Amino acid sequence: MTTSIKPKRNRRVKTIQPIFYQMARQSENILQTARRQGLATPSAGLKVPDGYFDAFCRTMSDSLPFRQEIEDPEAADKELQPKTFWAKIRPYVYMAAMFAGVWCMLQMFASLTGAGKLQPIDDNPIMASALSDDNFVMDYIYDDITSWDVLDEMLEDENIDAGTIMDGLSENETTTEPQGDYILPQ
Amino acid sequence: MRTIPFAGTLRHHTSSNMPKDRTKEEETLSALLRDPATVREAFGDVIRLYSEPLYWTIRRMVGDHEDANDILQNTFMKAWSSLENFRGEAKLSTWLYKIAINESLSHLEREKRRTGISLDEPEAAAAANIAADSDMDGERLATLLRQAIATLPEKQRLVFNMKYFDDMKYEEMSEILGTSVGALKASYHLATKKIEQFFDNID
Repeated sequence: MTTSIKPKRNRRVKTIQPIFYQMARQSENILQTARRQGLATPSAGLKVPDGYFDAFCRTMSDSLPFRQEIEDPEAADKELQPKTFWAKIRPYVYMAAMFAGVWCMLQMFASLTGAGKLQPIDDNPIMASALSDDNFVMDYIYDDITSWDVLDEMLEDENIDAGTIMDGLSENETTTEPQGDYILPQ
Repeated sequence: MRTIPFAGTLRHHTSSNMPKDRTKEEETLSALLRDPATVREAFGDVIRLYSEPLYWTIRRMVGDHEDANDILQNTFMKAWSSLENFRGEAKLSTWLYKIAINESLSHLEREKRRTGISLDEPEAAAAANIAADSDMDGERLATLLRQAIATLPEKQRLVFNMKYFDDMKYEEMSEILGTSVGALKASYHLATKKIEQFFDNID
């Protein structure tokens, strides 16, 4: 009669497996126990103030801001329409019109005050009439001429007699340099 | 003036879980959200329909009621301000979940920067939060479960909450989180193992 001995390996497997499954079952049992006790619901073990959800829904719905994109998309589309050519150039046109207006205003003021066109000095009638007046020239243009300069001019002029000049000088002061204004003989 | 078909029924909806059989309702709501005449009223129904499930999801992530309230408001405000981006290709709930989770993660990131506590090492802070939470039920198991979940890394906590509490399918979670189904299953498995270890350490 022979007796069969089970191999060691099999016994080992049999001893290890129950421990593993027991551990697995144990962990499962805790969670299953919690589930059986109604603790597998999201609110288990937690509390919120009474009427919280009703109040939240009411407050949240009321506090939603108006959104034109989804509540009034037609109006939103109008605002988002692509710019026309006129809309693109409009700022520049307005700017040009403003400058043109300023220029016109300046022109109008110039014509009202008589300070219109500036004429060249060679072809200016006002200047021509002023320069033709000897007094004006003597008073305003040659006002820094000394008497000696005048005498020099007179001496160079052949039509004037030197004696007459000297007589005129002897009647006045005999300083080396003439004082005051001379009245030239006519 | 068009009427909203679910305006009456959704107003009295009190289920704490994310709606499971609402495909048709979501389709109708999505259509109403695209109509300028009904968009505001339809969004009001969205708020009534999803504020509670989203709140619990956020609350389980951030812990504090005030923070969860702020994040929930931000979630709906962002959804409203980017409603034209929702084209109805994804489920409405999936889209809202994405926004809520992103807002929650941003909040946690800000908190991490403010307090200097890493998101992956939240044990001390989470335990302190739960102990200090005056809204907590007295049930020991619920408290321990919350503490155990709080010790999980951010991603595992998210996956565990979505699977265990919201009973969400892996495919939908994958769409929301942008992670493969396999990775999500692994995350959930790791999360359950860590919760087991947490309870073992208590024993």
